[in-house]
Order: sequence, then C-alpha cells, then structure tokens
Amino acid sequence: MPENIGEFVFPGDVVRDLKVVNGVILRGPGLHSHEEPNCLLVTRAGKLCFKPPNVYWVEGHFKRYYPKKGDLVVGIIKKSGNVCKVDIGSSEVASLSLLSFEGATKKQKPDLQVGDVVYAKLLSAHREMEPELVCVDSYYKAGKLGPLSNDGFVMNVSLNFVNRILDVNSLLLRALGQKYVFEIAVGMNGKVWINGQRTIDVLNLMNALLAAERESNSNIVNVCRRYLT
Amino acid sequence: MAKFRENLITNCEKKFIIKNLEDHTRLDGRAFDEFRELSIDFGRDWGCCYVSLGKTRVLAQVSCEIQRPKSSRLSEGILSINVELNPLGASHFESGRNSELQVVMNRILEKCVKDSRAVDMESLCIKINEKVWAFRVDINILNHEGNLLDCASIALLAALAHFRRPDVSCDGEETIVHSYAERDAIRTVIHHYPVCITYALFKEGTVVLADPTLLEEGVADASLILGINSYKEVCTLHLGGKALMDPENILKCTSKAAHRASLLVTEIKTVLKQDDERRVQGQINSFQSFKHAQGTKSLDTLTKYLDQWSVQKRKRDSKRKNTENGTVQPLGKGSAVLLPVEDDGAKSWKPSSDENESDSCS
Repeated sequence: MPENIGEFVFPGDVVRDLKVVNGVILRGPGLHSHEEPNCLLVTRAGKLCFKPPNVYWVEGHFKRYYPKKGDLVVGIIKKSGNVCKVDIGSSEVASLSLLSFEGATKKQKPDLQVGDVVYAKLLSAHREMEPELVCVDSYYKAGKLGPLSNDGFVMNVSLNFVNRILDVNSLLLRALGQKYVFEIAVGMNGKVWINGQRTIDVLNLMNALLAAERESNSNIVNVCRRYLT
Repeated sequence: MAKFRENLITNCEKKFIIKNLEDHTRLDGRAFDEFRELSIDFGRDWGCCYVSLGKTRVLAQVSCEIQRPKSSRLSEGILSINVELNPLGASHFESGRNSELQVVMNRILEKCVKDSRAVDMESLCIKINEKVWAFRVDINILNHEGNLLDCASIALLAALAHFRRPDVSCDGEETIVHSYAERDAIRTVIHHYPVCITYALFKEGTVVLADPTLLEEGVADASLILGINSYKEVCTLHLGGKALMDPENILKCTSKAAHRASLLVTEIKTVLKQDDERRVQGQINSFQSFKHAQGTKSLDTLTKYLDQWSVQKRKRDSKRKNTENGTVQPLGKGSAVLLPVEDDGAKSWKPSSDENESDSCS
C-alpha cells in the first residue's frame, strides 16, 4: 500500500508499493504507467484516491473533458444540418445525426438551431476520430435524452464535482429538491443544464451548486442532513 | 493539435440573462452599475503590476531601453503598449498571432494613455535626435472572465506609475546609465491617469451594465468604452457592436464613469503609496494578495440557499420538545449523555463510567 493515499500528488511524482491483484493495477485519470513494477507515474495534480482492491486515480479540479464511450453529456449545437456538430467541451467537436433521435425519419426531424442544448450519449470516442453522439438508447427509445428546453441555464462545473453530484449516496440534489422544483441534466463533460419554474429558482440553484463545488463532501453532507428528513 | 474555439453561448443562456435583466438582477447578484472587486498588487521589480477584477486577471510589466527617437518627434521618448493573449487566459487565445481582440485592445489602450498624453514623453529624452528612453509595456492576460480592457488599463497605469527608470548622466560624448544600486531611480512623470471603463448595452441601449462578465459581454448588443481621468476629462470613447443609444444615456454613462474613474485613480494612488512605504521599510513582499488568499464562505452560501424550509422548522421544534423531557448528564471532560425520562419516571439508562476510565488511560 502506498503511504500517500488521500494526500496531494503532483505531476512527476511516483506512487510506489501499489497493490496488485492477479498482476493487474487498475489506474484511472491522472496516472501513467511506470517502468518499475508496482509503480505509477502521476500526470496531474490532485488528491490520490484508492478503492479496494486495486483501483487508483487522481482527483482534482479538472475542467478539460476527454470523451469516453457511454458517457452522458450536455452538448451545444455549433453547426446544424443533417449531421450536427456539437460542442461537448472536448478538443474535437462531436457529431450528432438528426436521425438518431427517437422517432426521427428523413422527413420528420427535430428542429435544432445553432446554440441549442442537447443531452446525448457518446456512442463512440476514439483518440483519432470524431466523437459520435446519439439521443436514443439501444432500443431506439429516447429515455431522458434529446433536446433540452431553451428556458433553462447551462453552467460549467469541474469534472470532479459532476462525479460528486451524480454519486448515488450524494445528498445534495435531494436536499435541493426538497426546496425547489427543478429539472437538471448533468453531463459528464462538466456542463450542467438546470431549469426551474421561476428564474430566481434557477439562479439560486446555480449559486448553490457553485458554492457546493468548493466544499468537501463531508461538509456538504452535514449541511444537507440538516435539511433532509 | 486541434484548434480550440471560442466558447459558444447557448440560446438558453442568452434568454436567461435577458430574462434576469427584466427582473433587474444579474447572475452574480450585482446591481447594474456595480463593479467587481478590484485588487492591485506589485511585484518585486519596478513596473510589475498584477491586477484582478473579479476573476479577470492581468499582469503588466514595463521595461525600458535607449533608442533613437522617431524622426517625426525628435525630442520625445517612445511608449509602446503590447497586449498579449496567450492560451493561459482562455483556451481559444493563440499566442504569437494578432487576433482582432488584441488589435482592438491595443489601439484603445494607446488612444487612452498615449494619445491623451498622460505620460510626459519629453522627460524621457536623453539627447535630442540621438537618444531617448523607449518604454515598452507588456500586458499579459492571465485569465479572461470579461472586461479585459478595464483590468488591462488599470494594470497599465499602475505599472507605469510604479516603474522607475535608471538615472543617466552625460559627459559631452558618452552617456552613462547608472544602475539602481548606484543612483536612485527616476519616476515617470504622469500628468493624469486615464482609465478605461466598459459598459455593456442590452435591449437597444435601454439597459446598461457596468463591468460585464464574459457571458454578459457575449450576450450584449454593444459595448461602450470610456476612457476618463480623475478630472472628468474624456480621453477615449469607443462604441463597439450594434445598438441604438440616446445621447442622453451616453452622457449619463459618462458621468457615472467619471465617478468610478476618480475612485479608481485614488485606489491606484493609495496602493502605490503603500508599496512605496513598504519599500522604504525594506520589506519587498511581492504579490501580497497571493499570500492573503481569502477563504471562501461557500458553505454559508450553500446553507443560505437550502434554508427557510418551513417543514424542517416544524420538525426541529418537535424534536426540541422531546429533548426537554430528558436530562443531560455530564460524562467526563467534554462529553455528555442525554437521559430520556420514561413514562413511569424510572431511568432505564445509566451513564457508564467506561468513558472516564479510557480518558484517564490516555
């Protein structure tokens, strides 16, 4: 076991004495393989995390998104056409075919303008290729995917915070839901779309999320517990 | 490498901002004519100034060298302003390439400071037609969060006012440049301090926002940039974008900007004075504000937005009633136990003394 689990690591640090299960170490973002056995090289600054039995990753305030297959993202239409170009915050724009919406045919397609927001799933993400988005699942059903209404607001948060709000055990959204009536679409790319009944609600939610972003998990839990039954 | 593009502003963001303007609110809770928090800091070297306006950050550095004067102005020094946009500030900025924003910013700053003759150029002359001081101000954008121009103009002025050039003496033929250690350095003479103040115009010039953020800048129809000094003299007026605007409105903006400008200039002067005093005392602490990073009160803010939940209040009241029935018994140092009172009055709970024993052990 490395000694510095939960501590801050910096690019160039080497994490030693890692736990290996069947000759395998699972490494997440921020870690790179190292020539020595049982060692990993740190490539990002942040907190070193460990999950038994052998998963390691670095957590920090990252904002650059790297597309991953199967991620649910909030994207902004940059160019409309039969195949839209969608900005998902990655280095390449993603493509989204207008036929990949539920019930879309060549004659009947959703009307998407430049600047509209969609909630979509990454069908493919490869280093050398344009990421591809779809708004249907494998049964050709929309589920929760599709164009988002123009009434809400899109804010950018750090990727780490996205994981924290989407955590099953997270109380934050539940606590906010007790007070406000709102819709939220959280993209793994750090874009969060919120819509509420009144603009002031949306504004409050936005500020609450921004405030929570800077707080530790335990502090958020403490505050939320106070307002949850 | 893929080229980064400017962040696109979504339709819902545009709509949301306009909707909020109708309710007389801004996203960050400021009033329409309120500015973001400003801090000015100086580095170790002369003429190194770091300014932050909200989250926008700008670093300016003045440097000087001796050059031949321009043939059109033989007895005047040279001042060149150089705005640099590198990817550090925003991912779509490219270093080494002249973008439109860079040219516009450069020109407005030149108009504001150089063309209004704020700096005494004749005092920068060493020998007519042969040697003059050439000042170069490099303005680096460290973070772009809207209203770059205000931030850059403050940094430019503060850096120029902070800068000292080395003393020069002439003995007939040769000019000798004395180092800072040899002779006291000389301040630049600045006649007046013109600062740029930006307003964003919405809804055909009817709504005017001071100090727009990046998002507000993107949504605004037009922007009105005023260069004003503390004597309420307008040095620059620049209207970018498309908007109809009343002359009356412009005058109103100008008088507001004049007030702001005088505040800014006093701020710059006090900060300069503080830095001078510090240097006299021999403490050269570069970049004070980095050390005194303000702790954020985000937890309080979060509580504020979650608070005022009526159902919870009732719950808490009922809980309090329950506690009144029990008795609190102290248990060693810093701990206590709540003993609930049973209906028949008998106490079924007894405080154990384990706690005390373990305490004494440790």
